[in-house]
Amino acid sequence: MLRHLLRTVNLFDTAKRALFLCFLAACSGRSGGDQTQSLLYYETYDPRSLDPALSTDVPTGEMVTLLFDGLTQFDPDGRILPALSDRWTADARGQRYVFHLRPRVNFHDGRPLIAADVKRAFLRVLNPQTRSGRVWPLLPIVGAADFADGRARDVRGIEVLGDTAVAFTLTEPLAVFPKFLAMPVAAIVPAAPSADFAQRPVGTGPWRFVEWQHDDYLRFAANSTYWGGAPRSESLTVRIVPEPLTRAAEFLAGRLSVAEIPFGETVKWEREHPDWLHRKPALRAIYVALNNRRGPLRDPKVRRALNHAVDVPAMLRTVWSGRGVAAAGSIPPALGGSDAGRKPYAYDTAQARRLLREAGVAQGFSVQLWRSGTNVELGRVAQAIQAQLAAVGVQVEIVSRDASSMREAVRKGDTDMAVLDWWADYPDADNFLYPLFHSASFGPGGNYSFYSDPGTDSLILAARRTVDQAAREALYRRIDNRVFDAAPWIYLWFPVDLWAAQPSLDGWDVPVIFNGQRWTKAHVAADR
Amino acid sequence: MLPLIGKRLLATIPTLFGVLVVAFLLLNVVPGDPVAEMVGERADAATIARLRAELHLDEPLPAQFGHYLWGVVRGDFGRSYITQRPVLGDLADRFPKTLQLAGAAMLLAATCGIALGVLAAIRPGGAVDRLSMFIAYVGISFPVYWVGLLLILLFAVALRWLPPSGYGGLAFLVLPALTLGTRSIAFLARMTRGAMLEILPSDFVRTARAKGLSETRVIGRHALRNALLPIITVLGLDVGNYLTGSILTETIFSWPGVGRYVLLAIERRDLPAVQGSILFMSVIFVLVNLLTDVLYAKADPRVAYD
Repeated sequence: MLRHLLRTVNLFDTAKRALFLCFLAACSGRSGGDQTQSLLYYETYDPRSLDPALSTDVPTGEMVTLLFDGLTQFDPDGRILPALSDRWTADARGQRYVFHLRPRVNFHDGRPLIAADVKRAFLRVLNPQTRSGRVWPLLPIVGAADFADGRARDVRGIEVLGDTAVAFTLTEPLAVFPKFLAMPVAAIVPAAPSADFAQRPVGTGPWRFVEWQHDDYLRFAANSTYWGGAPRSESLTVRIVPEPLTRAAEFLAGRLSVAEIPFGETVKWEREHPDWLHRKPALRAIYVALNNRRGPLRDPKVRRALNHAVDVPAMLRTVWSGRGVAAAGSIPPALGGSDAGRKPYAYDTAQARRLLREAGVAQGFSVQLWRSGTNVELGRVAQAIQAQLAAVGVQVEIVSRDASSMREAVRKGDTDMAVLDWWADYPDADNFLYPLFHSASFGPGGNYSFYSDPGTDSLILAARRTVDQAAREALYRRIDNRVFDAAPWIYLWFPVDLWAAQPSLDGWDVPVIFNGQRWTKAHVAADR
Repeated sequence: MLPLIGKRLLATIPTLFGVLVVAFLLLNVVPGDPVAEMVGERADAATIARLRAELHLDEPLPAQFGHYLWGVVRGDFGRSYITQRPVLGDLADRFPKTLQLAGAAMLLAATCGIALGVLAAIRPGGAVDRLSMFIAYVGISFPVYWVGLLLILLFAVALRWLPPSGYGGLAFLVLPALTLGTRSIAFLARMTRGAMLEILPSDFVRTARAKGLSETRVIGRHALRNALLPIITVLGLDVGNYLTGSILTETIFSWPGVGRYVLLAIERRDLPAVQGSILFMSVIFVLVNLLTDVLYAKADPRVAYD
């Protein structure tokens, strides 16, 4: 017995020693050395591809924005700036645009950029064999739709003017067209891209491609000959870190330069590290789409009643950690055309009851509220709404589905109500009106409430054709007001993004739009 | 033994075919549209229709299945709708990483689990027994993501001994392997203890002691060997599970393995990637089961297969 006890002790000793060795190895194996000066960003999942034609989601779009340039670009505040085109002109109606190319721009492989590259790049996106899911930014060009459908061999609306300019003729005037061209899908790629282009991309952007380990990290090196000046840092590593709490830990361990603060941790970070935090109102709206074609929700009075029945400020404070501004309309306050004077629907259950009575549903009714099971925060919003609507007699059944199932149901119009968020593709009020409320955008186009009003439709189109910025913004205010009265949504809030940045990081700001941060000015100060 | 293995391998073909049919039908029954995932949040109907035609999704189901099966027979698992990369290449890229994590977790589980179980069985009710019981309770009842996050907080944020997550050298392997292995350690320890307690009072153990064999030899060679069958069963099941990817552990520790690949493929209704992964996982499971059966026969000569 004694012998085996001794043996037991030995065994533990061995185990202990092994564990200790593990830790030793671990400590010496930490590869922190080369990372201190490098910029460390992250994505929540692996980008689809590095081919601009496939940039339909945020991670892909952000990576394309590092490697490539469009004719135009956005700064972190969402202002449109020149990029590959250093100046452009439009005719008086805003239907024909001429973009002049910046001289002496080279691709990463040394080839010079010429105007013909622009046309080839756009044709490549429109070509059905590319299987690009996002051709709509190019469809306003004359002949683009025919080319995409295989009915034409060329796009008549794109003219190459020598080596230095490209002209676009549009099917109808479109004031926001230059902003469409800043989207990643409209980035310029070199002629005849190689077969592994999506894996080893060559662009003109501030960063060159170095390495991509799928689901692990992407590595970029500064393009020292970048037309806009070389990035201040030598390298940029983008890690793939799916779990929000892990991201916070990675940031605290110094292995990420920036991190978005997880919702549950807001108060803790605000208390412990207030000086690391950066806030920025996002071009994003959180709302409940009310299906304007189903049951009692067809009646604007009922929809207004629902808006009066939810206590948005309380919800914003409790389930959203106060990270947002209550919405009075669909246009975020940072965009021209939003009306700061308009007041949100007041929380007033008596008013809600009165409206329901006027609509003939004083006894209440039952509806389904869909939420995506993958989005925990929106799920909490759904629960809060359920509880608050019950107080005015509206029975809400929450239907929780995975994002893909929910998207399908919402687009088909099979849901009564759905908690959703809408992210801007380009920083313009048009992006919060045309897709969300024009009847041509029903379903997949973004109009998930199936709101249809000929007056609104024609005003939205009129605004798109208006070249004068002030007149356009006045129109947007009018449209937003009109839609707000009809209440096709339960208007919730515009989120304010909350990020932490390492104190040693300089020249970085939270972008209002995903492709507004190109990391060219970011820099890690040596030992502070 | 060899003819047996050959026969079993042949028998896997109908199994795998069945898996393919069921997977294909299920994927076509569940709601969600792969094309909707390809176009993102805003798209026009014409683009959607065009992509559907490009991917042959407008053809009848039997024709679609035929195309797919023909590809699989030729060793072509197709290309992901989303990334446009070959599915087999993507799986081959991630499997070694999953294998590494599974291997480390199993090594940890087998050594610690069996050792704890044996030690506990030697002195039922003793200190080691109570400790192993405690570890078992903790290991089985605490959810993986919770254990994982606690380990990150302790070792990566508070102590700064290890990196919180990611893939790399040994340092990156410790926490995920510990997280993944804890459950197996707990289960194996209880399993081993139970089996040993049944074996230890047996006549042959008493005989072995009476012969004057050392206690180590009695326990290690005579008793443990006879207790191995249930242990192999549990190990086999765990290895199968770990090799097909551990979604939670891989997500928490940003580990670029098969589990996250499959999860993302399912979320995006990436049909070729999901089907390819299911087929791949089925092959792994079948092989691990076969290996388990072979080990049964090795551990216990009384086990004979016809």
